[in-house]
Amino acid sequence: MRTLVFIPAWNEAASLEAVIADVRTHIEGADILVVDDGSTDSTAERARAAGVLVASMPFNQGLGAALQTGYLWALREGYDFCAHLDADGQHPASEVARVLAEVQADRADLVIGSRYAKQTEPLPGVAPQGEDYKATLTRRIGINVFRLLLTLATRQRFTDTTSSMRAANRRVMKLFSENYSPDFAEIESLQLAVREGLRVKEVPVRMLERTGGSSFLTPVRSAFFIFKGLVVILVGQFKPRHAGAER
Amino acid sequence: MIPTVLAAQADKVSLTAQTRIIAAALAILFMLLILDLIRRDRLQERYSVIWFVAGLAMLAGAAFPGLLGLVADLMGVRDTNVALFSIVLLLLLGLALNFSVIMSRQAAQITRLAQERAMERAHEQAARDDLERRLNGTTRAEDTATGPNPDA
Repeated sequence: MRTLVFIPAWNEAASLEAVIADVRTHIEGADILVVDDGSTDSTAERARAAGVLVASMPFNQGLGAALQTGYLWALREGYDFCAHLDADGQHPASEVARVLAEVQADRADLVIGSRYAKQTEPLPGVAPQGEDYKATLTRRIGINVFRLLLTLATRQRFTDTTSSMRAANRRVMKLFSENYSPDFAEIESLQLAVREGLRVKEVPVRMLERTGGSSFLTPVRSAFFIFKGLVVILVGQFKPRHAGAER
Repeated sequence: MIPTVLAAQADKVSLTAQTRIIAAALAILFMLLILDLIRRDRLQERYSVIWFVAGLAMLAGAAFPGLLGLVADLMGVRDTNVALFSIVLLLLLGLALNFSVIMSRQAAQITRLAQERAMERAHEQAARDDLERRLNGTTRAEDTATGPNPDA
């Protein structure tokens, strides 16, 4: 059973090495691929220096396209399972390992690491450094809107619709390598997976407060983001089903 | 003095000779521009058809002003100006939508190209790493045993 962990990275030279080291420590036996989404800093060089394979996009294409590249690679290289996490250090690899374990145990086809799902017990021996994740007000509104919409659309309860800490098996790789919306990847992909009859599951995880940079969400952008989400989910309900995702 | 008849004053559409000549000249110039763009590879043939049709329609309107009145009658519009503007507006709207569709398709193609290129780069890197490892391996093997094996 082969596992790929891929890390989409766009100008994350500062944090990437630590993330790679973290993955190596906590997810043993997995191959690592960094999908460099047209970075203009030394992201790709540093990743190569760290000894991992780097798929460098010739220009920036957005998170959705970068994630799809990872799924494509996993599918074509014959991996049985794959997982992805952010390159900015918000996602502890120990938590990714738990998300991954769910698909490896075949309890689901696609597993989402959720910041907001009810915590079970603190993990033994795992104490990620840094502040725990706390959402701002605008973000909380957006989160709740999408939570509601997606729950209505899929008739399945989702708490963290935009989490990009996920693990998947080959059924999902097949689906996502062909259909992965570049604009609204996180949410639409969940809807798509449920519609195609795949088992999608959330696992509560700890995420850390972002160390550098700031969130892109201003109120106006949030409103636009939510509006776009509405359209995407509504339209997604009427998209034709694919025969490709056989069980 | 040349008696000028304004379109608005007549029941029927009656453009002055002046207007018709200008309109026809513009239509012909427009079609020449399209041809030139194709000739210089700035416009692909498959996207030029619609513009030719538009140019021909302009020319037809200039040559036979009665046509516009006919179209207005068909649409049930009394004012031919309204008919003209509606048609042009709808046509432009359709064209803009058509371009959005084309653009979306091309954006998807560009993304896939970028992804393929990215994966090729990763393959190149893997091949390079592999080669390096094997070269290092054979140099070490040379010291102890036979020469380098080109098939290894």
